Amino acid sequence: MKIKQKKDNALQTKTTKTSWRQSEAVKCLKKNKMTYMFLLPGIILTLVFCYIPMAGLYIAFVDYNPFEGIMGSPFVGLTNIKEIFQIPAMYKAIFNTLKLSLLNLALVFPLPLIFALLLNEIRNIRFKRFVQTVSYLPHFISTIAVVGIATTLYSSSGIINDIRVAMFGAETERILFLSLQDFFVPNILILTLWQSLGWSSILYLSALSGIDPELYEAAIIDGAGKFKQCWHITLPCLSTTIIMLLVLQIGGLFTSNFDLVYGLQNTFIDFEVISTVVYKEGIENGNYPVSTAFSFISGLMSLVLILGSNYISKKINDVSLI
Amino acid sequence: MFVNKMKNEGKSYAVFKVFNGLVMLFIILITLVPYLNILAKSLNEGTDTMRGGVGLWPRAFTFENFRVLLADVSMYKAFFVTVCKVLCQVVGGVLVQFMAGYALSRRNLWGMKIANLYFLIPMYVTGGTIANYILFSRIGLLDNFWVYILPTMWNFYNVIIIRSYMQSSIPDAIIEAARIDGAQEWTLFSRIVLPLCKPILATIVLWIAVNSWNEWTSTLYYIQDPDLHTLQYKLMQTLKQTERMKALLMEAIKSGKNAEDIARSMKVTGEAVQSAQVIIVTIPIIIVYPFIQKYFVTGVTLGGVKG
Repeated sequence: MKIKQKKDNALQTKTTKTSWRQSEAVKCLKKNKMTYMFLLPGIILTLVFCYIPMAGLYIAFVDYNPFEGIMGSPFVGLTNIKEIFQIPAMYKAIFNTLKLSLLNLALVFPLPLIFALLLNEIRNIRFKRFVQTVSYLPHFISTIAVVGIATTLYSSSGIINDIRVAMFGAETERILFLSLQDFFVPNILILTLWQSLGWSSILYLSALSGIDPELYEAAIIDGAGKFKQCWHITLPCLSTTIIMLLVLQIGGLFTSNFDLVYGLQNTFIDFEVISTVVYKEGIENGNYPVSTAFSFISGLMSLVLILGSNYISKKINDVSLI
Repeated sequence: MFVNKMKNEGKSYAVFKVFNGLVMLFIILITLVPYLNILAKSLNEGTDTMRGGVGLWPRAFTFENFRVLLADVSMYKAFFVTVCKVLCQVVGGVLVQFMAGYALSRRNLWGMKIANLYFLIPMYVTGGTIANYILFSRIGLLDNFWVYILPTMWNFYNVIIIRSYMQSSIPDAIIEAARIDGAQEWTLFSRIVLPLCKPILATIVLWIAVNSWNEWTSTLYYIQDPDLHTLQYKLMQTLKQTERMKALLMEAIKSGKNAEDIARSMKVTGEAVQSAQVIIVTIPIIIVYPFIQKYFVTGVTLGGVKG
């Protein structure tokens, strides 16, 4: 008898609990109406400018007819995506994007870390501040202004040619660097480095300032030199930051700096990346389905890369961005 | 022995210190010289610049290059559009993002987790340029000033930073006290929460402002009307035009035409005027930069720490 009563009680509390939870949601909504209203602009903007374009990706799977609209056009499945792989220019753009990103990863990515390590050894605080301030500066200049500066530096009457003439004599031919196909990729790497060296070191610097000085004191007592301290204390303490930035970088392998590539392109240069092809095919030539299919594929590969590298970093180092 | 070791270390370390100082000086030079060079060229007489050899100081000083640019009415229009764009983006963005940040910072409220997920997904999956373009053409945002403002007003990355700042720096007790005193939600937000958020407010304002000032691809993608061109976009046009002209000249020379005639028939933007345009576009930022730099750094470290 007693047991049954207990069961009944339990059942009763259970039912009241669920109904209580539902009414709690409504109550909470009613009570904090204003707070939810605060979220409304964000929800609407995200819906219109993020989710609707996402649905617009459907255009990659139709034979688009502007008079019928996206929904009215016949569904063609993967035809557009197959078409991408028949156009050599698109092939090449994927290859170029990857080439640029990998070179960037190998040559440019480690330098801010080295810069931060070197800067950390500067003991004069005012000089250190000054170097920091100066090195962050290019980050705030627009990419197109960077292209403008590069155009001036490399022009036939520019400072680079001036230096070459001064070094090799007056007969030296003045080279138009920006018209050289072979110089295009190195130039992009140089300008990327120029613009990002200081700025990308900020996270390393803030991680460096967070390292417990006692660790170094202990290492000195153990007889570790500067190099050993760096290897056994500094770098392990920075590993979280390094891996985080590496994950981001790997996630971005299929994207490139459109502003810089497009800004530097001219008639002598034949170098397209994914984003410039999407722009030229899609907006300039109006070939919506194929260029959308193209950006869809590259977006998909990016997503796989982000999730993959994030998964690996979580496994190895317990650092996760997502 | 310990002291001895320190001394030995001191010797090679001293060499390293000198080397390190030199590296830093080199970085300062590499960063500043290009800009100083372009500044000198912008203040140098155009035909003299073509001879080459202008370093860090103008050889034939003149304001003519700036005068040429400032005589162009479209430059004023572009300046006006750019300033309007920056102001609208800052006001709209700050309002929307801080309101959302405040709402999301109350994470014990029902549904905030779902809202978070809803905002998080678009950070990894996007429709891309063309899908945006088609959408904008449908809702009349092409060739419309609001295309600069509305699509970028929401930025979840900023909202995350704002939210975590509010959660860590504004004590719940203050908010509770205000609520007990009968403050309505809007009063609470504008009178108590926003003033307490001043450091992060400065960061977000400057962040949006500089991005907005520097951004030019939205003009390239979505704007054709010359009345809506921005300063940055006009610089891009100038640079592209110069390149195109160079190419035409090369072709003309190859096919044996008189290059000078062609050059004269086209509107030429010389290197000096081009430099002046770069200066006009960058100078507002360069001037305020030393004073606002610290806010940017706070923002980056906050964002980095919170992921």
